Amino acid sequence: MDPQPTGEIPRSPEVKPLVAFHDVSKWYGNVIGLNKLTLRIPPGVTGLLGPNGAGKSTLLQLATGQLYPSQGSVEVLGQKVWNNSSLNRQIGLCPEQDAFYEWMTGWDFVYTSARLAGMCRSDARDAAARTLESVGMTKARDRVVRGYSKGMRQRTKMAQSLVHDPQVLFLDEPLTGTDPVARRDLMDIIQRLAERGKSVLVSSHVLHEVQSLTSRIVLLNHGRLVAEGHVREIRDLIDKHAHQIVLVCDNYRKLAGRIIHWDDVEGVRILAGQSGLLVETRAPDAFYGRLPELSLSGDTPIREVYSDDDNLEAVFKYLVNK
Amino acid sequence: MTSAPASQQVPPGRIALAYEARPSRFVSFASWWTLYLLTVRQHLHGKKWMVLAVLFLLPAALAVFVRVTGPNVPLIVIEFSFAYMFIPQALLPLVGLIYASGIIQDEQEEQTLTYLLIRPLPKWALYIIKLLATLTTAVCLTVLFTGVTYVAIYAGSHTIGVPERFLKTAAVHALAVTAYCSLFGLMSLLTRRTLIVGILYAAIFEGLLANLPLSIRLITVIYYSRVIAYRSLSFVVLQFRRPRDVAAPVWRIDDLSEHPQTRTCILILLAACVILSVIAAYLCARKEFHVKTPEKP
Repeated sequence: MDPQPTGEIPRSPEVKPLVAFHDVSKWYGNVIGLNKLTLRIPPGVTGLLGPNGAGKSTLLQLATGQLYPSQGSVEVLGQKVWNNSSLNRQIGLCPEQDAFYEWMTGWDFVYTSARLAGMCRSDARDAAARTLESVGMTKARDRVVRGYSKGMRQRTKMAQSLVHDPQVLFLDEPLTGTDPVARRDLMDIIQRLAERGKSVLVSSHVLHEVQSLTSRIVLLNHGRLVAEGHVREIRDLIDKHAHQIVLVCDNYRKLAGRIIHWDDVEGVRILAGQSGLLVETRAPDAFYGRLPELSLSGDTPIREVYSDDDNLEAVFKYLVNK
Repeated sequence: MTSAPASQQVPPGRIALAYEARPSRFVSFASWWTLYLLTVRQHLHGKKWMVLAVLFLLPAALAVFVRVTGPNVPLIVIEFSFAYMFIPQALLPLVGLIYASGIIQDEQEEQTLTYLLIRPLPKWALYIIKLLATLTTAVCLTVLFTGVTYVAIYAGSHTIGVPERFLKTAAVHALAVTAYCSLFGLMSLLTRRTLIVGILYAAIFEGLLANLPLSIRLITVIYYSRVIAYRSLSFVVLQFRRPRDVAAPVWRIDDLSEHPQTRTCILILLAACVILSVIAAYLCARKEFHVKTPEKP
């Protein structure tokens, strides 16, 4: 993978881009959200990778017409996005913020989303039922969102983004804070959407989330395009750095006792304040792969898994300084 | 809300999204009606209406207190004091301010605005529909508690024409609260400190300046409400066997011929509502709402 200076991205003219950013900058007063970004994202699944504050959410908000570029232009499916509400029929967004109409049930929320998307009552009922089923929320759909776990909330957010059967899906950190089972299910949903020919742009600050979904990634840092290309090349770089993964579990001391025996674990630190562990590993794929089974078996259910930015930051520094 | 149908079985491991997303024949109407209902439901689930209900019960409670402690006080004086001074001066601007300032700002602060911005709803329509839903709530609340106040004032008396007086008062209050909602709705798109600016406006313009016999009161909502009320209802009581107009000296309406006709007042208020709403919808369509990313300083 080559680090790409801004605006010098190799283009493949034969592939019509799904999302096209041309020399786009976005400022929030003195804060730069995106800095002269030129990017063409082809159909299919693309991972948008970058540490917190890299500009991923700004990019997704620009692509969904929520923000207006301070400079440059943004197109999705060949159409301008700003004040083009009809384009929203073909777009779905799973936002990062954990916000809901908390008094609604999961069913009500997704049904209302379908109706807001312009579906008639019977189709909206049908679509809401099918979508909730597809994200594994049928049993809990009549419960009030306020009482949902983080994983259930993420599934419900995903359902509202899918309910009107959009052609393009933008997912902003959809796996953040979820338990291993929800994480696996959500990744399964994204992969099946791709199989159905949907285009997905999924943002994350964890490479191993993204690489399970796609080999095509875009790297952002400090609002700039750092690199884009095949995941294999960045993997080689990132694996030079130990991965730090946080596991939140009520029975975290017992969990530490089980994990410490794994060969690929290089270190485990107790985070008593968070009821969790900080695990260091150089084989994150194998580690993530074993988590669902570990969580489901025995008395160490893992409530939350997340990775901080440290290893990714190191790679970005490497790429930028190269 | 429509009940959920029985869920449809999906083969394990398969995602069930292979349906035809057939849009309603009235696509816009479906979206707009849903947004209208959603906004009304938000109001009903919020705590604002409870706070306002408690405040609105205050004039009714005071009216009962005055009737009990001063049985000789004419009922029209009590009506004037509470239905035409307390409610329009203090409560109606507050109702308009509390509800209209949150039309967009509440969704923005609760970060649910994103779910509306990513739907096929133009932003101008988003504002107008939410304003209409807000007006529905505010007007219903106002009419209901104006009724409660009238019951408190006239219950047990044998005064003739109370229902007619109530209907006219409710209509005047509904018109006033509509104007306040339109005004404060626009204000909420211009400043994030709508509550502070709104309270200052209500205190200075609707409170202070509207009570002065100066032409500046022509830009206040309360002035037109008073003129409509004064032309529609009698506020004359018998005191020491002589008729006394309780409204004219307080409202500074000395010569009625110098003031606009009822129809003109209604048209001015309605026109103001329309103009303010159109400006607000236009601003909303052009405005960028930051839900997660930082606001411009």
